[in-house]
Amino acid sequence: MKHIIEEESKYVASAKAFRANVTRDLGNEELRSNFRGAMDYLMDKRKGAFSSEDELEVLREQCKLIKQRCLAKLPHLLEQLEGNLEKNGIKVHWAETITEANEIIAQLIAQKKGKSVVKGKSMVSEETALNDYLEERNVECLESDMGEYIVQLAKEHPSHIIMPAIHQNKKQVAKLFADNIDGFEYSTDVDTLIQQGREVLRNKFCQADVGISGVNFAVAETGTLCLVENEGNGRMCTTIPDLHIAITGIEKVIEHLADVPPLLSLLTRSATGQAISTYFNMISSPRKLGEKDGPEEVHLVLLDNGRSQAFADEELKQTLQCIRCGACMNHCPVYTRIGGHAYGTVYPGPIGKMISPHMLGLEATTNLPTASTLCGACGEVCPVKIPIPKILLRLRQESVKPKSQQPQVMKGQGAGRNNVEALIWKVWAQVHKSPTMYALSMWGLTRFRFLMPKKLGGWTSVRTAPKPAATTLHQRINAKQKKTQQSQQERG
Amino acid sequence: MTNTKADIKAVSNTARGNILAKLKAEVNGADYKKLPEEVSFNYPKFSREENLAQFISELEKNHAQVIKTTKENMAEVISEQLKVLNITKLLYGENDSHREVINALDSKVDLQAYDFSIDNNKEMLFNECPAALSTSRCSIAATGSIVLWPDENEPRSLTLVPPVHLVIVDANELHADFASLMTSQQWQDKLPTNVVLVSGPSKTADIQQTLAYGAHGPKALIVLLINI
Amino acid sequence: MQQLNTQHLRDYPKKPKQVYLFGTCIVDSFFPDTGMDAIELLEREGIEVIYPQGQSCCGQPAYNSGYKDEAKAVAMAQVKQFPLDIPVVVVSGSCGGMMRHHYLDLLGDDPEINNFCQRVFEFTEFLVHVLRLKPIDQGPKERVALHTSCAARREMGVHITGNKLISQLANVELVIHDYESECCGFGGTFAVKHADISAAMVADKSKNLLATDVVRYVSADHGCMMNINGALDYQKQSLRGEHIASYLLNRIKSNSSKGSL
Repeated sequence: MKHIIEEESKYVASAKAFRANVTRDLGNEELRSNFRGAMDYLMDKRKGAFSSEDELEVLREQCKLIKQRCLAKLPHLLEQLEGNLEKNGIKVHWAETITEANEIIAQLIAQKKGKSVVKGKSMVSEETALNDYLEERNVECLESDMGEYIVQLAKEHPSHIIMPAIHQNKKQVAKLFADNIDGFEYSTDVDTLIQQGREVLRNKFCQADVGISGVNFAVAETGTLCLVENEGNGRMCTTIPDLHIAITGIEKVIEHLADVPPLLSLLTRSATGQAISTYFNMISSPRKLGEKDGPEEVHLVLLDNGRSQAFADEELKQTLQCIRCGACMNHCPVYTRIGGHAYGTVYPGPIGKMISPHMLGLEATTNLPTASTLCGACGEVCPVKIPIPKILLRLRQESVKPKSQQPQVMKGQGAGRNNVEALIWKVWAQVHKSPTMYALSMWGLTRFRFLMPKKLGGWTSVRTAPKPAATTLHQRINAKQKKTQQSQQERG
Repeated sequence: MTNTKADIKAVSNTARGNILAKLKAEVNGADYKKLPEEVSFNYPKFSREENLAQFISELEKNHAQVIKTTKENMAEVISEQLKVLNITKLLYGENDSHREVINALDSKVDLQAYDFSIDNNKEMLFNECPAALSTSRCSIAATGSIVLWPDENEPRSLTLVPPVHLVIVDANELHADFASLMTSQQWQDKLPTNVVLVSGPSKTADIQQTLAYGAHGPKALIVLLINI
Repeated sequence: MQQLNTQHLRDYPKKPKQVYLFGTCIVDSFFPDTGMDAIELLEREGIEVIYPQGQSCCGQPAYNSGYKDEAKAVAMAQVKQFPLDIPVVVVSGSCGGMMRHHYLDLLGDDPEINNFCQRVFEFTEFLVHVLRLKPIDQGPKERVALHTSCAARREMGVHITGNKLISQLANVELVIHDYESECCGFGGTFAVKHADISAAMVADKSKNLLATDVVRYVSADHGCMMNINGALDYQKQSLRGEHIASYLLNRIKSNSSKGSL
């Protein structure tokens, strides 16, 4: 047996370039305005989607508990899912790494002599960079979700997990279509653009021999793959070609069919404010004898890629509750400013800051958990109540821990540790835990306040430097008390 | 690219063993009875009329056309709709329940039964079938959703590929919400190859958050609501 | 930090005779007037204010930077400074959130810590829910904006109490600015570590505050104000933020000149 040679994720390099990416995208005014507009729209949609605060809060609690139950039983549910899928005729494959997942899919396609693939939206396949892998093996891979199609034409990656092309406006899309679609009649009218995209893609659905999709919920009890979508491309990919391959993360399994309605309801409302998506597609088997359509073969690839690392820690495990609605990024003031590409990771925004360190290691992602004011807007809207700021704090701790400290919770522990910074905090703690040292340092600060520099790095690039007071609160209260005592004595 | 001939079955087996071992090491000895009790929201109960109104309003909000009709008038209504849309050909499922309707359609409509396998017929399905007629199993008021339960007679692509989808919905089969529907019909015991909830025509807002209909699936969803 | 705003679940004590004041390190070294004003306001309500001289910082800077052990040492030293079973009033929502919610996580859920956390009140929360303060406005007609820090909003509910206090001032019109609930971009070391993102955020916040055309905005957190006021000063704008303690005191004193103690 030949071994699979693990390829490093291409996102390692782009995540490492976070700071440069941020500088690039903060300076792009068109991009900034595209994101601000889109986030305002999505926040507004979500706000109008719930009948009452009460309904929202009960649903969030319910869905949190459902996901926590499913995670508590994860290995058993995965086995149950596998058993029921196989019983239904759907073949199950397991992959620990992205290369394993890609290789499994490449070989499944090769076995069927597949040459052309249509893809439904799948962030997990972005995670594995499946398109690149297949194209290197001469398999044509076409993204069919309108947003993904635009992004693929532009040779970019999704900038948002629900709306992949949110960073582009209609003028930019029109130009892209003009450059890439034969016979495109130039227009910036969205309807016209979509209709022209539709024509191209329908031809591809008709001809493709493989369909690849993601999975929103995999139901263990029945062996069912559930897909949430509005466009119908997901149904196309899973219905028309002869071979359907679904790929998903191991955390997407849920126990009961009855768990689906609350999760679905909260997913679509949190994501786009829709009561339900246009299509909710539940697939439980390949084409049965006598049926006239549907794929002859259906496969599911279950991917780990760092998820089991998060699973092993009680606090970080909550990361896996995520149902990928995107509400955290829609409400994130940092995401709104820098956009989705700056993160350099597949999953941007708060969810990306939490999950990417497990996928890529803290060495590549050490700047992500710190790129947050911990304002809590994400945690406030998270439909499954992941304490996002708390998890970011935890990742910061893992990042600055000494490399050798046990237990080793994460790949890349200590990657953000800087000895000078660590020493500063040590001294800071010594000063602030001792009243005498603190008083001394405050005396120094007020006494020598004229020495306070006018320039304080990044702070003073847009702000003036704060000036220490001439006397501290401690000193003023002390003085006040002395005065009171004095006057009491005088009177006495 | 020395990967090409790795044995994926062996790869998958090893991965399976490793993943499950890691996960099981963490849940070892867990007592599932100790999981917290789960909560759920008590939705108010609605009357049949309220549910119907909700169903229609949700569908219309999502750009579906809802026509209240009867079994007797259905053929006439469909013929009229096709005429308005300038459609002369109708693909339909060979479903006994609406055979009479099919037989009574305007004789100018070219009728095509979905009595073929999709293999080798994709071009025809994609390019020569402007409209399709299907039944539905039931529907959901809260979200304005129609439950399609494809089978040998009404294949999955019947309701997906043709640009216009006409669907017969029986108001007597309207359920308040998805959860109560699944529970009352015990779906967990008998899911078919595919079930689809449809809540409007295909749409997308992927370009600058502007809604456009007919992204990939049907551009129009016409709901023929009977037994009101 | 999910839904830690438990004000509505909290049992508020009766008006106490004495309280502790936790001044916060920023107020101590940069804005001592705020601390003095908070004390005066509380004293006017007949409350004796004890200010332990051994206090320093809540530990949040180290905690938010991932230095848990260092934060823990400093946090523990604070708890020791407030032994009496009386309220600890904190003139910052952010530090208040740290002491009320995160100390349990940081120092462990033992009875002493738990008792301490239960005694922590953010300043406006204390005025509204414990003192049930009904400020009598003596100041001139004025429009103001209110900026609530994120921790204050999401952990302590200060957007509600702050709003309530301002709304009770008869001559003051509260103007809501665009993106009112959005973060100003301070975030402690974030403003230094990710200075360019922080700059973009404070640029928007100051723009939205300026658009209200008020002469003053009010906040219960000096962290945010150091950020926003610093940006406004840099932009040579006259708009400034004022701590709600000073603002309230000024409004309720008959002669609106600030009394010094």
